Amino acid sequence: MTMSRLEVQPTEVIDRSTTRRFRWNGKRFSGFEGDTIASALAAAGEHVFSRSMKYHRPRGILTADYWDPSLLVQVGDDPNVRAGHRLLEAGMDVQAQNVWPSLRHDIKAANGLVSRFLTAGFYYKTFMRPQKLWPAYERVLATFAPGGKVDPDTPHRYHDKRYTHPDVVVAGAGPAGIEAALAAAAAGARVLLVEHEHAVGGHLRYSSQEPDRAALAELRAALDASDVEVLTDSTVTGRYEDNWLGIVQRNHPIAVERLIKARAKVLVVAPGLIERPYVFSGNDRPGVITSGAARRLINLWGVKPGERAVVFTANSDGDAAAADLDRVGVEVAAVIDGRDGRRISAAQGSSKALEAVLSGGTRTEADLLVVAAGWTAPTSLLNMAGDRPVYDPAAARFFPSDPPGNVLATGGLAGDGGLDELRAHGTTTGKLAAERAAAVAHRYQARTARALPVTGDEPAWAADLRVPLRRNHHPELYRSDTHGMIDLSEDVGSKDLVAAAREGYDSVELAKRYTTATMGSAQGKLETVNTVAAIAEARGETIAQVGTTVWRPPYAPLTLGALAGRVFEPVRVSSIHPWHEANGVRTILAGQWIRPDHYGDPAAEVRNVRANVGLIDVTPLGKLDLRGPDIPNLLNLLYTNKWSKLPVGKVRYGMMCAEDGVVLDDGVTGRLGEDHYLMTTTSSGAGGVWEWVENWLQTERPHWQVHVTPVTTAYSSINVAGPKSRELVSRVAEGVDLSPEAFKYMEVRTATVAGVTGCFMWRIGFTGELSFELHVPAGHGMHVWEALMEAGADLGVGPFGLEGQRIMRLEKGHFIVGQDTDGLTLGPSTGLGPLIKLDKDDFAGMPELAWAADRKLPMIVAIQPDDPNVVPEEAAQIVRGDTNEILGRITSSRMSPTLGRAICLGQVEPELAAGGTKVTVLLVSGQRISATVMDHHAHFDPDGERLRG
Amino acid sequence: MRGIARGMRRRPAKYSAAALAWRGLKGDSWPRVWRDTELKRSYDAVVIGGGVHGLATAYYLARNHSMTNVAVLDKAYLGSGASGRNTAIVRANYLTPEGVAFYDRSLQLYNSMALDLNINVMFSERGHLTLAHSDAALRTMHWRAEVNKLQGVNSSVIGPEEIKKVASSLDTSDHPRYPILGALYHPPGGIVRHDAVVWGYARAADHMGVEMHQKTEVLDILCEGGEGADGKGAGGRVTGVRTNRGDISTPIVINCTAGWAGLISAMAGVRLPITTHPLQAAVTEPVKVFLPTVVVSGSLHVYISQTDRGELVFGAAVDAVANYSIRGSLEFTEELAGHVLELMPSVSRMRLLRQWSGLCDMTPDYSPVMGFTPVDGFLVDVGWGTYGFKAAPVSGEQIAEAAATGRTPELIAPFALSRFETGELVGEKGAAAVGH
Amino acid sequence: MLLVPCPNCGPRNSADLRYGGESHARPDPATAAPLQWRGYLYLRDNPAGWLRETWYCRSGCRRWFTLERNTATNEFRDPPMPGDKRGGKA
Repeated sequence: MTMSRLEVQPTEVIDRSTTRRFRWNGKRFSGFEGDTIASALAAAGEHVFSRSMKYHRPRGILTADYWDPSLLVQVGDDPNVRAGHRLLEAGMDVQAQNVWPSLRHDIKAANGLVSRFLTAGFYYKTFMRPQKLWPAYERVLATFAPGGKVDPDTPHRYHDKRYTHPDVVVAGAGPAGIEAALAAAAAGARVLLVEHEHAVGGHLRYSSQEPDRAALAELRAALDASDVEVLTDSTVTGRYEDNWLGIVQRNHPIAVERLIKARAKVLVVAPGLIERPYVFSGNDRPGVITSGAARRLINLWGVKPGERAVVFTANSDGDAAAADLDRVGVEVAAVIDGRDGRRISAAQGSSKALEAVLSGGTRTEADLLVVAAGWTAPTSLLNMAGDRPVYDPAAARFFPSDPPGNVLATGGLAGDGGLDELRAHGTTTGKLAAERAAAVAHRYQARTARALPVTGDEPAWAADLRVPLRRNHHPELYRSDTHGMIDLSEDVGSKDLVAAAREGYDSVELAKRYTTATMGSAQGKLETVNTVAAIAEARGETIAQVGTTVWRPPYAPLTLGALAGRVFEPVRVSSIHPWHEANGVRTILAGQWIRPDHYGDPAAEVRNVRANVGLIDVTPLGKLDLRGPDIPNLLNLLYTNKWSKLPVGKVRYGMMCAEDGVVLDDGVTGRLGEDHYLMTTTSSGAGGVWEWVENWLQTERPHWQVHVTPVTTAYSSINVAGPKSRELVSRVAEGVDLSPEAFKYMEVRTATVAGVTGCFMWRIGFTGELSFELHVPAGHGMHVWEALMEAGADLGVGPFGLEGQRIMRLEKGHFIVGQDTDGLTLGPSTGLGPLIKLDKDDFAGMPELAWAADRKLPMIVAIQPDDPNVVPEEAAQIVRGDTNEILGRITSSRMSPTLGRAICLGQVEPELAAGGTKVTVLLVSGQRISATVMDHHAHFDPDGERLRG
Repeated sequence: MRGIARGMRRRPAKYSAAALAWRGLKGDSWPRVWRDTELKRSYDAVVIGGGVHGLATAYYLARNHSMTNVAVLDKAYLGSGASGRNTAIVRANYLTPEGVAFYDRSLQLYNSMALDLNINVMFSERGHLTLAHSDAALRTMHWRAEVNKLQGVNSSVIGPEEIKKVASSLDTSDHPRYPILGALYHPPGGIVRHDAVVWGYARAADHMGVEMHQKTEVLDILCEGGEGADGKGAGGRVTGVRTNRGDISTPIVINCTAGWAGLISAMAGVRLPITTHPLQAAVTEPVKVFLPTVVVSGSLHVYISQTDRGELVFGAAVDAVANYSIRGSLEFTEELAGHVLELMPSVSRMRLLRQWSGLCDMTPDYSPVMGFTPVDGFLVDVGWGTYGFKAAPVSGEQIAEAAATGRTPELIAPFALSRFETGELVGEKGAAAVGH
Repeated sequence: MLLVPCPNCGPRNSADLRYGGESHARPDPATAAPLQWRGYLYLRDNPAGWLRETWYCRSGCRRWFTLERNTATNEFRDPPMPGDKRGGKA
């Protein structure tokens, strides 16, 4: 075919005064503002745009729109761009995809010669022997992967998202969709109208007929004057639960693609119809195009699609195409009317000299074969709403069946009819949508206890009294008397499908999976019904009997960038974090928190704490403020130990187990006042424990009076640890007697620290040293930290991080929930059996813990390698002698700066748990070493003299 | 056995390059992969569920135990459930010794499957990377690696530089929100063409006389002697199944369903520790192949592989909400895309082509429920969570052995239903929460 | 995105809530036999149909509440309103 630019067309959307220069396969081209990439190339005479996936056959324009399977190109670093849809921009670097070495001379086209051996699924039947060669075969097969290229330097560009809550969303701005939007808006609804194309109007846009043009102008003017929000070049990609809609907006001024999420009260589905290719021999040759493609090329972009055309028409669209072709000077060599039972059997010859062969054998030479064989109803959004569209053989397409009440179809999807009928149907649909939306809005508000009271009763659910659109008769034109290509994206022909069905892959789903038909870029829009028809034919059944595949989201592909949007992955830092950063901190990611790991030398930090005094920022420690008379009951229920007699001013450690007895969390809780406690949790458990507490309080013990407030970030928490910590704290704290007699280990006091009132401090000892943990109102955290640093300069105060703390807690043998315990570690395995009080009335996990007392459980034990210089890796396995039988594992290990030797915690089988037992540890290197189980968890100061000091 | 006696064993149409060429030249079509037969009134065993598990079970009943008078029933078409909806990843790098031994056997069977079944299942042994973004995750990777090594399974922890060599498109810099600190590298892992596994088992079982009945829905399981209503429940035994095509008598019923395991078991009066959740997946448009390995991130709930067709296939964790609806959600694709771009920013312009979901039966300890039940003759091979495809060959082999011999094979003893009565659960939960 | 009818906050996106799963009574821990207790821990009805289940309105009113949902269609039954006689503890 020979395409060229026509004189100015009255309907055209290009601006001939603005030239856009671009590159196509390295060569310079130009087009006009308003051109698509494909229309600009077509106007410049290009007629081959890609090579097919398997046989590398040359492919030209088929539909000249978004769904055209032959118009996928690479634009810069953007693969698989729809050249039939993407507007031309100056400087675009456009490349053909799936060609080697070039579009014109493609070596893999030789595959076409052996196509009889490459039938669908051929790869399942070969390449099995020799098995060693399969990886090599696989690499060759992989070179057939179609599509563009990912540039490894592609950045994640700017994307954004928008939420909207319209009353009515109309998907598709053809005449019926526009009327529906207008009518809904006129009835007071907030309406969002979404159009896939670059402008509203649907098929009216590429009609040259005067009544259509007048209607288009009228509809556009009405839209402009209305409150309807119109989005063009945007697609409703999915309809999810309760009318949650995904909409991709491709023409946002800043975002590359924007995802809009809309909770529509009513969705009107009006996507129109998609023209369906006709299956006959050679139907994928360049020069064979749909009637819509011919009309779009002529009327939208002023492109003459050929010089001499054969038109196959079975409907008014085909007739209009013939008229358009004739009008712009394309010689219409023959019009073959499918309504009279005439058929096209083949397209032969080259793209420059195509021959249309009629079923009788008559041949007509042409360079263009225009086909109008009918439509596919793109029912995707209805399918996603749970509808199962039904096939009507008389109209030769699927129609909506029974979508939910908040989803309404109109336009070509719902039926045929003249323009006036379609518009009228749109109008009544819009009114119905608005009425139903009002009922939904009323219900939402009425069910929201905290919303303003609604006035009046809920409006009745408006009945659907629309007069159904009539259905025109259309011949069933799926396959002609020859075989041809069904899925152009996948190179699957009708022969492949028939063969698959004969082999037993005779349901749509099996055939689809076996042949890969409908799985390509057009997502079945063009080929699904032809696929079903081929299987029906092979089975000797009707299309209705075979049924169709389920259309899955998205309706149109959208970029991962649009779906991801801007990356919102928040991190949390304490109010003291700037100090850490200014002082050489190395951070560690712990859940959402960024925490100080160390400041250069964790071993030195440990030595300083043991010798002098150190500060650690423990703000992420979970903190719950508890108030109310029933707190002791609550604590008795949540923890394994007893809480009824904890006096004001005292702190106690507790371990929480889940109902299955598995260790859930641990921490200390202090009684600040008569009915006021502060509970702490592990940092990672903070959120979960809060929900756990609320669950017990609200569902199992709703009569208890306890109020829970999470205060993790309301306080900055600083642990002051080391033999000189009392001296340091005394220099900044007021209103509290810090003497060992007045403020004992495991006690809590309220104090003013560095002038900050309302601070809590308690004496606990995770590090094993005398230590004071301060909880300071978060706004003053930095001030208190700096005050401590300044006040302690002469005491040798220094910061220490998580690593130092972990070393010291390991020296003391304190386990960490989630590191030394795992998802099956029951309470008694921690060695804290005495803290499990089975004589209580009830607590979480009590029955399991009672039964566990009689079971042989793995135990957490302290372990020391016999060679003090070897530190087994965390995760090193404890095995039986020289065998591979696993008897436990190292869960924590460090070189102790205090003891100058390797120390560990581990979980071992019960028979190894006794102190003095020799165990074999298998290092990651494969070496087996001997180690000894210790009597106590604490490697250092087992009697706790230092922390009680 | 009766099948053979009646001469039902068929001469298979062997698949090979030569046969392909010969039929291509002659223009001959291939025979049906499996027969369409009448549903008989009686079988020696009935397998419920025509997915990979059910078909593998039937195949091994026939191949290893000469039980060929067997029917596989599916309410839709073969492979219509999770078998055709999973992301086709296979691996053996589990956390517990019992898990590793079990999945390692499965991997061996996958390795020889193409020759055993005479169909190219396209096992691509491309390696499997499980990324660690935190110290805690890295510790778990080390733990898995150590247990794997002790079981003779090739796994090791590698650092960012080596990761970059295996999969150059991963962002191994230290600036992302979830930096890649290391990974568990498992070279024997890979992907398999899942549909081919379904068809291969069906074809091979058919050749030995097993019958596949599609569109055959089980409406009830017939029992006698049990403590519950209609003779169902503990102490009873199976006598047959009721289907939409009539009743069948059989002494053995094996529940190999996913998504409906609880409902089917309830028909025999057996309660299961299962909740059903959708697992969603998605695929992009194809691009030229650039990702040579399987990439998994547990913290980001995502796993990624690229097919030979060039598509990126993505999976995630199961949906939190129990559900039998498989419509898929937008938020799944949003979160997925965000996490994929966190790992591989360069794919931001690739387009998502299709999303789908399947049903997963989740158990409390992320391990299956396999073997005998309190109802005699009623066996289960259920609770496969998100790892059923990997386990299909070994499950079929072992469940077939249990059904044929009446004894629980050692390999599946840890997965007995009775563990939920004694409280002695399997410890895979920590590693397998999203461990694909 | 499921629209969950929180009795306090009205219809909310499910992302605003935590799913608590099938609602089931806790046996008396003092008298529960192992089988009974483990039934409570592990066994679920898991129906393909109406299910009584708990939700936590974590981003809203922070209430744990019970709803009935059809697990095959994701339809919710009208929740009891606060103060409604049908309401009470979840």
